[in-house]
Amino acid sequence: METVLFILFGAIAVCGAIMVVTRKHPMASALYLILTLFAVAALFVLRQAHFLAAIQVIIYAGAVVVLFIFVIMLINVPEDRLPVERATTMRVLGVLAAGFFILESAVLARRFWMPIGPVAEVGTVEAVGRALFTDYLLAFEITSVLLLAAVIGAIALAKRKI
Amino acid sequence: MEALAISLVNAVPLLAGVPLWTVTLLLMVAVAAVILVFALTFEGVGSLVLRKVAGDIQARIGPNRVGPNGMLQFLADGVKLVLKEDIIPANADRLLFKLAPYFVFVGSFAAFVVVPFGVGLIAADLNIGIYYVMAVTSLVVIGVLLAGWASNNKWALLGGMRAAAQIVSYEIPVGMALIPAVLIAGSLSLQDIVRSQGGLLGIFGWNLFHNPFTFFSFFLYFTAAQAETNQTPFDLPEAESELVSGYNVEYSGIRFGLFFLAEFGDMFIVAALATACFLGGWNVPFFHVGTLPWIWGNLLSLGVFLTKAFAMVLIMMWVRWTLPRLRVDQLMRMSWKYLVPLTFVNLLGVSLWLLVFRGKGIPGMIASLFG
Amino acid sequence: MFLGNLASLRYFLPEFAVTATILLLVVLHVVTKSPRSTASGFLSLLGVGAAIFLAGVAPAGAGRSIFEGMVAHDGFAVFFKVLTALATLVVIFMSMDSRDLAGRSQAEYYIFLLSTLLGMFLLSSATDIVMLYLALELVSIPSYLLAGYLKGQERSTEAAMKYVVYGATASGVMIYGFSILFGLTGSTQVAEIGRSLAAGKATLPMLLASVMVAVGFGYKIAAVPFHMWSPDVYEGAPTPATAFFSVGPKAAGFAVLVRFYYTVFAAADPGTGLWRLTSAVDWPFLFAALSALTMTVGNLVAVKQSNVKRLLAYSSIAHAGYMLMGFVLLSSAGIEAILFYLVVYLFMNLGAFYVVVLVSNATRGEEISDFTGLGSRAPFAAVALSIFLFALTGIPPFSGFIGKVYLFAEVIHRGVYWLAVVAALNSVVSLYYYTRIVRAMFFEEPKDASAIPVPAVSGALLVLLVAPTLILGVYWEPVARIAADSVRMLAF
Repeated sequence: METVLFILFGAIAVCGAIMVVTRKHPMASALYLILTLFAVAALFVLRQAHFLAAIQVIIYAGAVVVLFIFVIMLINVPEDRLPVERATTMRVLGVLAAGFFILESAVLARRFWMPIGPVAEVGTVEAVGRALFTDYLLAFEITSVLLLAAVIGAIALAKRKI
Repeated sequence: MEALAISLVNAVPLLAGVPLWTVTLLLMVAVAAVILVFALTFEGVGSLVLRKVAGDIQARIGPNRVGPNGMLQFLADGVKLVLKEDIIPANADRLLFKLAPYFVFVGSFAAFVVVPFGVGLIAADLNIGIYYVMAVTSLVVIGVLLAGWASNNKWALLGGMRAAAQIVSYEIPVGMALIPAVLIAGSLSLQDIVRSQGGLLGIFGWNLFHNPFTFFSFFLYFTAAQAETNQTPFDLPEAESELVSGYNVEYSGIRFGLFFLAEFGDMFIVAALATACFLGGWNVPFFHVGTLPWIWGNLLSLGVFLTKAFAMVLIMMWVRWTLPRLRVDQLMRMSWKYLVPLTFVNLLGVSLWLLVFRGKGIPGMIASLFG
Repeated sequence: MFLGNLASLRYFLPEFAVTATILLLVVLHVVTKSPRSTASGFLSLLGVGAAIFLAGVAPAGAGRSIFEGMVAHDGFAVFFKVLTALATLVVIFMSMDSRDLAGRSQAEYYIFLLSTLLGMFLLSSATDIVMLYLALELVSIPSYLLAGYLKGQERSTEAAMKYVVYGATASGVMIYGFSILFGLTGSTQVAEIGRSLAAGKATLPMLLASVMVAVGFGYKIAAVPFHMWSPDVYEGAPTPATAFFSVGPKAAGFAVLVRFYYTVFAAADPGTGLWRLTSAVDWPFLFAALSALTMTVGNLVAVKQSNVKRLLAYSSIAHAGYMLMGFVLLSSAGIEAILFYLVVYLFMNLGAFYVVVLVSNATRGEEISDFTGLGSRAPFAAVALSIFLFALTGIPPFSGFIGKVYLFAEVIHRGVYWLAVVAALNSVVSLYYYTRIVRAMFFEEPKDASAIPVPAVSGALLVLLVAPTLILGVYWEPVARIAADSVRMLAF
């Protein structure tokens, strides 16, 4: 049962991700991104990491993608002015490289195939909190500096007159 | 759900031949259906009550034609919505236009799953209950944005933008104001939070009276949640006087109905969360529900819970018809400059209180004085 | 083995100084409401000065892993902290009298500069991939903002935009590489990852991971083919910020490159001063190829540039190529050569940019034609710039020569002759374009012969930059010793 669901949601996540990069309209891409994020959240739930799943949905689907959609709406490029993708040499090479890469990943996956076993408590509120405030405390604090700089930057760039 | 299915199979010999997963699945569908029926009924009756309250407050009668005292008005409305022609504007993005109401409705309806209606009456007692509610309601934002954008209408777009900005902004104070309840219970599960408020004559165990900060917290939550669900006086996304009707202006028929239902659903979720986190949830005053037989205990606690929740809904309606609407910049300022800092300070206060007094609330301390 | 969070605080003082300064700048900006005042510049100077003092004064000893293994406090980290802070200090001086920034709010600019500095501190000491990634972002994000600081100027906005797009892509690829490493070893600790990888033989994933991580780091040090952003960013950004990008983040990029690759994909042979590869992945060869490519592309493209800032951008790409030579040798002498070269490069490159700032303040342009006749218009600045340019070429008796000697000597010592030949040819090419500026300054008639005033403070700073460039050309022993000491503490 769990394996079936894992494959199902994994497939949804992967297909969604492919759609994100192949759709022509940014709005469609954003929506597929939401789909992918939800599928990943579902994978977290399958691994008993409910907290991570909720955070994933709240932060990414609820805030980050909403901001994306906001920007897409504000820019609002008309359908006929969206850039047309042409198959240039670089693109073809890129697709080939990606194909090669997927092949490599498949080889990797075969070699490091692991059955879905019982999970350690990694995604619970307690486990996340403990990791965040002991082992990764410095990283957690540094993030706040990073966010502070980013907030100041956003204001400095966006405000007409400081 | 599976545990319930096992006990059901054990209790009813007829089901012995049916595979367990089928029973589980059927149970899931049944529970979902029950909740859906409840949600729809509430939303229907809620709309009627809303109009009656509006009538009272504005010194007029309100709906009084369909059925005795207009009691069946909501049924007539429902039939009308279903039968109405469904119009999609010519230049709309058809797919997204159709998709948006579902996002909104699912986001609002999915939250009902973790509402603790009674001692044992909860569809899924998730261990991340509160976060689950916040997660699924974030779907609403996306739906609203899509509705505004797909309609290809200025008013709708403006409404959608406003709604999204508002929901995203107010999500923070709402979450922060709920955390005190989580801290006191030591769990994110709504059932655990309700259980932590039992005892002490039933009323003084409520988180509302736990300490000054939680008292404050309740009002912060209620204000912010009103805004998050776009209720008046924060209903700028709809603001009929400036935006016609906001993001749903182009919708008609059942698609409009979905938005409409979701709005009432949100109202109930806000009221239910306030009840569960601050007002003792299904705990019956002066009485320990667990001592009763299963069925009576649940019925009693369900009644208590719904009474409290409906009272909160009535207060929301009362507020809705009495206060004037804010301006959009005032709204944003209120969130970021006042509510967010206040909820953070409040959270700090609650945490300090719990640290200093080892988790004891004021009523608990008074009670221990008298042994 | 790891120091706990509280016990680590006393080894974290330079970072505290920088963070405190950032917060003070915010407060100052809010309280004084006169954002154009120079107060924020002086405050930043104080903060960075304090950080240098605190970093330099505390001996790292044998090195220790602090904050539960998040960062290391060792000689290598201290070296880079002092180096990057010095660069920041000079850049703050430069910014205080740059025309680019005059009339704009300054406080934010210094906040971004100091945030980047904090990021560089952490980048040079990070020993955990989570921390490493965060530090990289802390260097990158304020850098984007610095590049786009000249709001309303198209070039600056373009620079920021390109920087963001390239940066996001590079760090995305890099973190994918990290995820492979984490998947293989189940640890975020760099040292632990190295040990696990050495134990198992997983060649293909390691190849993948090492290449992907190389993208991220290569972008930070602007190595070809991840250099595309740098000329446009260098041209569009305010000149002091350009000077900063060409030294600070580049140095930090080298720090993390060395620390990461030498811990994860190589192991030290005790006593010999050499490292050996722990897998069949021949990443030194990969980087040797990158190095040759980087210096060749950098130099060849620089030849065609007419904008001095752009020219210096390509030249700094070429210099990254030279320094990469030291990285591929798997010997402590190689790393030592990089460290020494970075010190030398700091002074000569910042010096060159500083003269560009002074000239463009007066002429409002950065084309080579704006430099014509500088020899008569501002003789001191012209001589200083010539010294910096000759040092960058690597001509004796200037410091750049010694730096190159160290690099070449170790390359030849380790028997990578082809790389030495490529580098020597490249130096010849670089002579051409550097002397083009010198020729313009001294042998071409200016359109406008009026004297360019060089304020006393600027002159003093210029002297302070010229002096090491000259002195390190004849007496380099102490710096070389410090560099050698810093390498010794790297392995743990």
